[in-house]
Amino acid sequence: MGLLVDYDEPQMMAATLTMPYTLTTGPAAGTFLAELANNRIVGTRIVSTGRVIVPPEDYPGGMSDVETEFVEVPQTGAVTTFTRTVNGVVALIRLDGADTDLLHRVVGDTAGLAAGDRVAASWHTGSVDELASPFLQLAGFAATADGTTGEVTPLSGPAEAIAELPYSMKLDYEHSYGPYYGRMFDELASARRIVGSKCPKCLNVLVPARGNCDACFVPTGQLMDVADTGTILGFSVIHLEFLGQKRKPPYVYAEINLDGTATRLIHNVGGFDITKAEELLDIGSRVRAVWKDVSPGSGTLDDIEYFEPIDLPSSGA
Amino acid sequence: MGRSVAVVGCGQTNHSRRRTDVTQVGLAREAAQRALADADLTMEDIDSVIIATGPVLFAAVNQPDKWIVDALGAQGKPVVRVTSGGGTGLAGALAGVNQIAAGTHERVLVVAYDKLSEGALQYSISTLYDPFWGREFAVGIMGFSASYWRSRIKPLGHTEEAAAMVAVKNRKNAMLNPYAHVKKEVSVDDVMNSRYLCSPIKLLDVPPISDGACAVVLSSESAAKNSPDPAWIRGMAYMAEAENAIRRSMRQSEPLTLAAAKVYKQAGITNPRRQCDVVEVQEPYTCFELSYYEGLGLTREGGAAELIASGATQIDGDIPVNPSGGCAGANPIGAAALIRLAEVVQQVRGRAGDHQIPGAKVGLCQAGGGWANLRGVSVVSAQKN
Ligand SMILES: [Zn+2]
Repeated sequence: MGLLVDYDEPQMMAATLTMPYTLTTGPAAGTFLAELANNRIVGTRIVSTGRVIVPPEDYPGGMSDVETEFVEVPQTGAVTTFTRTVNGVVALIRLDGADTDLLHRVVGDTAGLAAGDRVAASWHTGSVDELASPFLQLAGFAATADGTTGEVTPLSGPAEAIAELPYSMKLDYEHSYGPYYGRMFDELASARRIVGSKCPKCLNVLVPARGNCDACFVPTGQLMDVADTGTILGFSVIHLEFLGQKRKPPYVYAEINLDGTATRLIHNVGGFDITKAEELLDIGSRVRAVWKDVSPGSGTLDDIEYFEPIDLPSSGA
Repeated sequence: MGRSVAVVGCGQTNHSRRRTDVTQVGLAREAAQRALADADLTMEDIDSVIIATGPVLFAAVNQPDKWIVDALGAQGKPVVRVTSGGGTGLAGALAGVNQIAAGTHERVLVVAYDKLSEGALQYSISTLYDPFWGREFAVGIMGFSASYWRSRIKPLGHTEEAAAMVAVKNRKNAMLNPYAHVKKEVSVDDVMNSRYLCSPIKLLDVPPISDGACAVVLSSESAAKNSPDPAWIRGMAYMAEAENAIRRSMRQSEPLTLAAAKVYKQAGITNPRRQCDVVEVQEPYTCFELSYYEGLGLTREGGAAELIASGATQIDGDIPVNPSGGCAGANPIGAAALIRLAEVVQQVRGRAGDHQIPGAKVGLCQAGGGWANLRGVSVVSAQKN
């Protein structure tokens, strides 16, 4: 049976990580976000110098503990500079009385926008729950004809800070297999065969197949068929459950040395009564791959369902 | 090693399962402020900053060193981030030590932290594995660690009972450490009866997940002239092994053996058990501490269970290990290795507080990153040579 892959095409493995977080905002950002719900913009004023920072910062004095206070910053200001993107205009905006620029978008008619133009805050009108981030309660800034300059004032009755913020990242990757992994996984899928590479110097067979021997630093050159039987070097019965886990506990995680190779393969051991794993398995136990009954396979180690023990003691499966 | 390097200040945060009062940046700053106060210096005295953190997936901020510059007041100074998994704190310290040893800087602030409560830890750690080859089966580092431990039980006698004694010792010691957040004594029976997470690793073999930071101020000899009781770096090394090494030993960590040999040579240590007064090891799980006893040469191969049972590594033993409580008291991963260094430094400076080993002059610490593939060692002493 031929290989499935056209090697003239780059071979990629798509992988996605979806990571949930609960971010700690700190007092300054937490108060800023909480007050946006009241349609107020909060800054930090350094008491000794009068410098006003928007959005507020926890440590405007660096390592020095300077006295600061929260202030309410005007909702009007001027565009310092801006850029046009496919998703609209993004600008640095100097709010009246502030000493730093706030990065946000400019909404409404931006056709004639120029640096120095006066803008005013534009607020989201629906529920906060609709927003991807509480920051977007401040929907952006829109050009205004009103030339009145606002003033920074003490923040009256500050809202309780939003201390924690749910967040998530979905990261999509396309990993290049490269020639050795590509061939190896293709052989798994198309021929149910594990492929390693042999070092011409130390004569060790390395799995996964790789271009150079880690010990001798010489090109391996020769691909080798590797047995799908091996010996357990170490194992653990996994009871721990965690987010992102691919298997449902309990299951057996094992470090397996495939016959004739000098390396370890991580896989699962199954096909027997897992509740008796501690008695039935040992370092040195013999195992064999049980291949999934699908053709062609997926071209991953998942094409092996698990490794099953060979010659279990009589109490076994 | 080039020029002599001293540690003139150490600071730690009050570690916690979750700090909601500060951001990542606030954690790092808190430790840095305490280290500078301990050194009686200010940021103006610092001419280089090393930031050390674990993988960025832990807390969702890529290149956090960029964010941290303002809070540290490090504008206009060289700021470099070093990351090397769990051993990152010692890897960061080594970067700073090298800057001073090479003569390019006089005082370096090393700040290490992780805010582990922000993300999904085991999921993040599983992404340390090869996406093609290992991630499908990875169970953080716990699956691997458990598997390696099991391979050591019969040939080396690293029994579950021996590991339980490590848990009892470290949790007891943590009671004396004001920065630790796990403060609950346990018995061997408690550990043995706790449930399996990844057999043979049980719940009480496992450290907490922590938010925390540690900072140290490193100094050249001339810049340390006015510093009270500096501790001297007598040796430091950080070694790697191949990802899927040929005929890798399951029994001993090769990079640890290499790092220890190099550091002992630098420091003139020929019998670590006799010559060192205090040891801090980074034991993410109790089984690691047993393994490190042997890897560091505190006992012969296969002697770890006897060593813990003998009481020698207790706080009043002849070779106290983890008088701070180690990772069992707090485990902010990116900071954990620098905490080990800071703890032995404070010991030889006589500033370790309630868990001070009386008269400690030479301290040994160990760090680990990746799963088994990165290992660091350092020796510090009250005397320059
Ligand atoms: Zn070779």
